[in-house]
Amino acid sequence: MFGGVPVDDRIVEAYIGEYASGKSEVAVNRAIHLKMTGRKVTIVDLDLVEPFYTLRPIKKKLIEMGIDAVAWETKETMGLGEAGSVIKPEMRWVLRRTGDVILDIGYGVEGAKVLNLIEGADTEENLRIYVVLNVGRPMTASVNDIVEYARGLGHVDGVINNSHLGDDTTVAFVEEGAKVVTEAARQLKLPVIATYMDKKFKPAMSGEVDKMGNPLCFLERHMVNTFW
Amino acid sequence: MAEKPIQGEKRVFMTGNEVVAWAALAAKAEIMYGYPITPQNEIMHYWTRMAPKYEKRFLQTEDELSAGFTTIGGVLAGRKAFTATAGPGNVLMQEPQAMAEMMRIPIVTIIQQRGGPSTATVIYSQQEVTLTTYGGNGEGLRIVFSPANHQDLFDYTIKAFNTAWKYRFPTFVLGDGYQAKLRESLTIYDPEERGIQLIEPETTLGKLRVSSDTEPRHIRNTYNTEEELLEVLTQYFEDYEKCAREIVEHDQFDCDDAEIVVVSHGVVSRAGKGAVQELRKQGYKVGYFRPITLRPFPGEALRRVADKAKTLLFVESAQGQMAKLAKEAIFGSTVAVETLFKPGVGVTSEEIVTKVKGMK
Amino acid sequence: MTMIPQMPKSWRLESKPHKFCPGCGHGLVLKALGEAIDELGIQDKLVYGCDIGCSLLSWDFFNVDSVQTHHGRTTPVMTGVKRANPDAICLAYMGDGGGYAIGSQHLVNAAARNERITAILVNNCNYAMTGGQMAPTSLPGMKTETTPYGRDIKEHGYPTQGPEMVAAITREGAYIARGTVANIKQLKGFIKKALENQMAGNGFSFVEALATCPTNWRTNAKDTWAFVENEMPKFFKVGEIKNPAAKEGE
Repeated sequence: MFGGVPVDDRIVEAYIGEYASGKSEVAVNRAIHLKMTGRKVTIVDLDLVEPFYTLRPIKKKLIEMGIDAVAWETKETMGLGEAGSVIKPEMRWVLRRTGDVILDIGYGVEGAKVLNLIEGADTEENLRIYVVLNVGRPMTASVNDIVEYARGLGHVDGVINNSHLGDDTTVAFVEEGAKVVTEAARQLKLPVIATYMDKKFKPAMSGEVDKMGNPLCFLERHMVNTFW
Repeated sequence: MAEKPIQGEKRVFMTGNEVVAWAALAAKAEIMYGYPITPQNEIMHYWTRMAPKYEKRFLQTEDELSAGFTTIGGVLAGRKAFTATAGPGNVLMQEPQAMAEMMRIPIVTIIQQRGGPSTATVIYSQQEVTLTTYGGNGEGLRIVFSPANHQDLFDYTIKAFNTAWKYRFPTFVLGDGYQAKLRESLTIYDPEERGIQLIEPETTLGKLRVSSDTEPRHIRNTYNTEEELLEVLTQYFEDYEKCAREIVEHDQFDCDDAEIVVVSHGVVSRAGKGAVQELRKQGYKVGYFRPITLRPFPGEALRRVADKAKTLLFVESAQGQMAKLAKEAIFGSTVAVETLFKPGVGVTSEEIVTKVKGMK
Repeated sequence: MTMIPQMPKSWRLESKPHKFCPGCGHGLVLKALGEAIDELGIQDKLVYGCDIGCSLLSWDFFNVDSVQTHHGRTTPVMTGVKRANPDAICLAYMGDGGGYAIGSQHLVNAAARNERITAILVNNCNYAMTGGQMAPTSLPGMKTETTPYGRDIKEHGYPTQGPEMVAAITREGAYIARGTVANIKQLKGFIKKALENQMAGNGFSFVEALATCPTNWRTNAKDTWAFVENEMPKFFKVGEIKNPAAKEGE
């Protein structure tokens, strides 16, 4: 079980959120977790504004794990962000593949509307759209901000608390985030799917839930913050 | 009245471009003029999202020439105005910046350096140092800060507004594409609550004429004779020299007994710091020097360091643009010079360690 | 049986499949242009310039001498080529920013001087390559990255009507039209006439092409076509505006 949602058929999840909310890290971890349970998984980099800053550095690693990663290679492209390509044709048809599909959707004023570009997204019964929230990000720091933000995103199926401050994260901060996110979720009438934490905090946590009762998921940091 | 964007202090996690937008808000900037160019677009994206809430204004202009000149207009009208650009946009920006230099107009510009020359890459470089410090058809009467991390970006963007409005020279925050996109935590704060006084803008054009005794303002940037121009410039040079002493900033450590001093600025200085710390642990006598203002350049401080060291190692993501400023500042010094130049490419602390170990 | 793709002869095989997004209008405009070049037989005389932005992806599209310029500077570069070598057929290819924002002063001046070049401008209502900022042609109410609450006419004015603007400046000899990827045959006809206008030495020729950008519009195929077929023509009238050949007793 993942976040209390029964897993039938296949898993199709789209992760959206504010710029630098950590949605890519969550998406990658989710894809790896599913792969480890023996499932067939495809992960798609749908960051259209910065198509190469997320999955590209780890694409090879993911493919070696047996995960199909649909993302650009730098060599395939011409420049970036004003002299380069944006959407890779394969991305449009990604839901026609069998197995689970994890969609990492970049930022942008139009929220989840990127899914309009994916063939079959409107009829995919298994599709769940999750908003990744980090209260360390000023525009989603308070309950009111989050509610306002989420309401502008279009249809959403659940929220994920990924509150962190990069290397300065503390357990207290994550728990504080859980409080804020859970209250916002209550107002939005959405489930909190999980609270994500860096796995280095696992020893400090007793039990499988955070202080608000949300399931805990531990993150392996795959997204490296260095030069490419 | 709109609420204050930042109340008290807060620890947050942001990308560099966002930091700039928040710092401008904290500095009470009122209007931004800009044109899309990677990698600084998010400064505009965040500013336009936050603008209505804090009663700020924005204009997307038709190009960078216009962005610079509209910013000048905003400043002359008495508002704290700013703009941001990169690469080829920075090249275009020199036109309006030259006018700001000549007329002592306090415009604030954030530059997020990318590969050059021309379109090159949209990613990163330190190749706009020459352009930002001495661009335009003049003598480089500008102030340039080179931040190394997000806390710097926040602190120095606020400082840029104060510096520009106090000393009346166009002021730049010289970031780069990596800093623009990197995610880091920092503390954002309301400067006034920290005791930092924010300089109030003054109106040059359009001030209400109270009575017929009040003279209208006539300002120009042309002169009729060579002597006139020289007189004006001589005064400007004096003003610049005087304020340079108050503005110039640098950072250094472990230089007193250092044989080799690693000189780097901006984001590369992080690699420099890491390298020097690592080398010292391994018993090497190395020092760290980081110019924080590239203009005015901390020449006196570097000269003192150069007098004691055997070699200065200049490390930058350009083909010697910072090194050139440094060498000019320490002219006459007999210190040896080594270089690690990687135009448009990032430099890691490991590379600097390897370089130092391979030296002498 | 080997399938031979129906590509214009002037298209360069080695740079295909091209790099434009699926659903992008550029592919269709460039196909119309390629066919026009073939039908007029001017491949060997053509000099092609493209701008910054998505038009940049066409830099190696044709088997024709090509140059990618700085943003907005394609018009003056092609002007420079034509002035130096009047035998060349010069084509400046750009987007809404390259023609109506940073390049507008060059477009306007080339038109005023009646430069014998042909400019083709692809209008998709946004700055696509840099992530979807507002363009001079963005529609009222349109949400873009720099108009997150929608384009406000009071703040930003109405979408630029480029061909009409150019038509107002030009005198005899100019050819001006607006086509759409929703009617490729008509668009190709306009492009051909624009090129013929240059070949006849009449004057400045300009074709705007309404084009799709599903990636930045965030629209599925159905909505993409609805936007270019129904919404955009509300502000951008499709048709010929000036045609010197028509005046001569057509």
